[in-house]
Amino acid sequence: MLTFILRRLLYSIPVLIAASFLIFVSVSAAGDPLSTLKQNPLVSEQTLKNISEKKHLDEPLLIRYGYWVQEAVTDKFGTPLLVEEPIWNDLKRVIPHTLQLVLLAESFAIFFGILIGVYSAIRQYSFFDYTTTTLSFLGFAMPVFWLALMLQILFTNIALKWDVRIFYTSGLSSTDAGSGFGFVVDRLQHLAIPAMTIAVVSMAQYSRYMRAAMLEVINSDYVRAARAKGLTETRVTMKHAFRNALIPVVTISALNFGVLIGGAVITESIFGLDGMGPYFLNNLLSQDAYPVMAWLMVVATMVVAFNLIADVVYAKLDPRIRFE
Amino acid sequence: MQRAPARRRYTVLALVIGVTAVALGGLASSTPAAAPATIVFGAEQEPPCLNGVLAGCNNTWTSWTVGIAFPGAYRQKPDFTWEPYMLDGEAKITSRNPFTLLYKIKQNAVWSDGRPITSDDFIFTATTTLNPRNDVAARTGFDQMKRLVKVNAKTFRVVFKQPFAAYKQIWSGAFGVLPKHALQGRDFNTVWNTNVNNPNNGRAISGGPFIVSDYQRGQSLTMVRNPRWWGKRPAVDRIVFRFITNTDSEIQAMRGGEVDAIYPQPQLQLSSLSRQSGLKVESNLGSNLEHLDFNTGPRGFSLARAPWFRQALAYAIDREAVVRQLFRTLNPSLRPLQNLTYVNNQKEYAPSFSRYTFNRGRVDSIMRAHGCSKGGDGIYSCGGVKASLRIGTTAGNRLRELSLEIIQAQAKTAGIDLRIDNSPSRIFFPAVSDENYHIALFAWVGTGDPVGQVDIYGCGGGSNWKAYCSRKVTNLLRQSDAELDPAKRRSLVLQADRIMATNLPTLPLYQKPTYFVYKSKLRGMKDNPTSAGPTWNVEDWRLGGVTN
Repeated sequence: MLTFILRRLLYSIPVLIAASFLIFVSVSAAGDPLSTLKQNPLVSEQTLKNISEKKHLDEPLLIRYGYWVQEAVTDKFGTPLLVEEPIWNDLKRVIPHTLQLVLLAESFAIFFGILIGVYSAIRQYSFFDYTTTTLSFLGFAMPVFWLALMLQILFTNIALKWDVRIFYTSGLSSTDAGSGFGFVVDRLQHLAIPAMTIAVVSMAQYSRYMRAAMLEVINSDYVRAARAKGLTETRVTMKHAFRNALIPVVTISALNFGVLIGGAVITESIFGLDGMGPYFLNNLLSQDAYPVMAWLMVVATMVVAFNLIADVVYAKLDPRIRFE
Repeated sequence: MQRAPARRRYTVLALVIGVTAVALGGLASSTPAAAPATIVFGAEQEPPCLNGVLAGCNNTWTSWTVGIAFPGAYRQKPDFTWEPYMLDGEAKITSRNPFTLLYKIKQNAVWSDGRPITSDDFIFTATTTLNPRNDVAARTGFDQMKRLVKVNAKTFRVVFKQPFAAYKQIWSGAFGVLPKHALQGRDFNTVWNTNVNNPNNGRAISGGPFIVSDYQRGQSLTMVRNPRWWGKRPAVDRIVFRFITNTDSEIQAMRGGEVDAIYPQPQLQLSSLSRQSGLKVESNLGSNLEHLDFNTGPRGFSLARAPWFRQALAYAIDREAVVRQLFRTLNPSLRPLQNLTYVNNQKEYAPSFSRYTFNRGRVDSIMRAHGCSKGGDGIYSCGGVKASLRIGTTAGNRLRELSLEIIQAQAKTAGIDLRIDNSPSRIFFPAVSDENYHIALFAWVGTGDPVGQVDIYGCGGGSNWKAYCSRKVTNLLRQSDAELDPAKRRSLVLQADRIMATNLPTLPLYQKPTYFVYKSKLRGMKDNPTSAGPTWNVEDWRLGGVTN
């Protein structure tokens, strides 16, 4: 197992290097990062020259990539193009915000996805099964930005009509969120709608996987044997079938975590959450390669790590899997 | 021990979840939890960093938020005139040759730490701005100074290289005056990225009515009343600027009462707010001057190099209809802009371009007079060249995209084919500044003052991306920059404007309206469509029923 993990980590290094080079070239070649500044007739040539020299914008791409690698390794990714503020400080700030959102959304999605999947499988072809199947496909098909807006309007209308604020429609915290339990509740109220938006698609996914896995397992021989031994249906389902049916869902959720850490860009942007998504988007639109690269390295590392976790967990849950 | 039946266990679980949800919901208050006399303002953009003088931090919301703490010598009013703010009366012209101004600072003007605001601060601001090592956004005006002379702590003299008519804008930008005692010896490019503290004591500093008390990057900026503010005492204790960059979210936050005011870019969906009770909507003519530039350079359209073709094009566009279509719900009183320098809401305004109304007959007579004839598709050809050219703007800006669609349809009926070629701003603007376009729709941010126009319309101007060159216009605009008599200055500028109305390097379209939405219980809020923005008079803001 250890050898497997080490090998996987070693394989990841050239992948990360190749990805960083490709993204750097793409972002840097997309246009002049100083174009917005240059449009302002009052910005002096001297200012443009200073910035250009500081960030080696007049050097060839390969040289610039080299400078980036140097700053990434020795100075924690350095500073953005126009502001002399360490990129690492920004990342330290935005990563926990995205983690909070992703944890909340995924917890919600996993819990209810599994619940729905299990019950759908047990009550196959029932009204509940058909309804949840339909809703799952609706969940897959629904555009995230539309769902986000609809939920915002729904909870705003509730607030207007009954003067009760259940959830907030934007931001991470209220003005006087306080501390301790009050702060936690306030944060949950702000993250609830964005978490619901993300959870809908994930929940649809998990419920389908869970249902399929349960159906496969509850019709297998060992489950039939357990029933024949006289165990109750609940015991057969929850103790024998459920655990084995959980394997694909656990694997998928580990992979999803890694991807979502990159920031649910649309959701976070719509709800004004200071997370990885808007951080990436704003810097990409500004053609500022340094923060974009830093974001990439963090996300790529997370994806690699969670892929590895998924493989290890899979092996743990299914003793038939062995690593060579 | 016997386990409870499954159904009962699930019922209990459901009850627990339900009670928890109700408890959490019950903990919510029906209005945002806020201390008394707090205004929560939804800011559409977050300052990239807090030092509004630097190029990288210089965006309008930097000056509208943190800039409150650094007022200037003058303040621009909603009618685009300037009034002394930190100065004790107008700067006095003591000599015309060399052009010399005498500045007197208000005796009671002090920083938040009690130190007086002095001539040294003004001089320090000038030298810091001019320092080539500092990445400042603009040096206009400061670069016209020859010498600064301190007379006493509250009086100083400025000798200029030549007369500079726009002197009121100096020390009146995003950050008016900087505190020398706090910033001297510091690296100006880094000292105020995430705070505006005095590095010597770590405490925030301000010369304005409010002082920064908290900055949560990506979330909010909080300013509290400056107890040492030397002007009218604000009635509000605290202003919280919450960064909500998505317009739809801004609208929902305003509707739901999560914020007390917003100042968004005009978007069509904003019209829903004017129908909601408890909200006030103010819309005025702003300082963003939307216009069409015609490229007369080698990479422009060949026919567009001729003024007669540009005139024909101008007659083929119904600017009234464009404005009506776009803004009838947002601002029904909006009219086309008819001047390249002055705006509709200025007393200096004169409608030099008013002759250009939609007139198909005029288009026909101009085109035919120059040997053009219509083809089978209804589009003119002139000497074998089809009147088919590209017109573009910034993709994603819905109002601009709609403008072009309307203009395209209008021009087609008049026999000119406009092919829409929009692109994201990071591609559009470099193409424009590279003079690689035919017609471009974008905006200049005007100050209501002609300074800077020679750069845009003068021969060889750094922002003259149209390859337009009229010696007469260039000379008139240069003269206006040095003409101190307001009436003469206006005359010079309008002469240049009338020439350009004939030559048509540019066709003005409209001033983008401002849109100020706030709760009707708030008092003292007044839109300022100049670059001073909605926070120009924060000391006058108050909650309903709360007085000074």
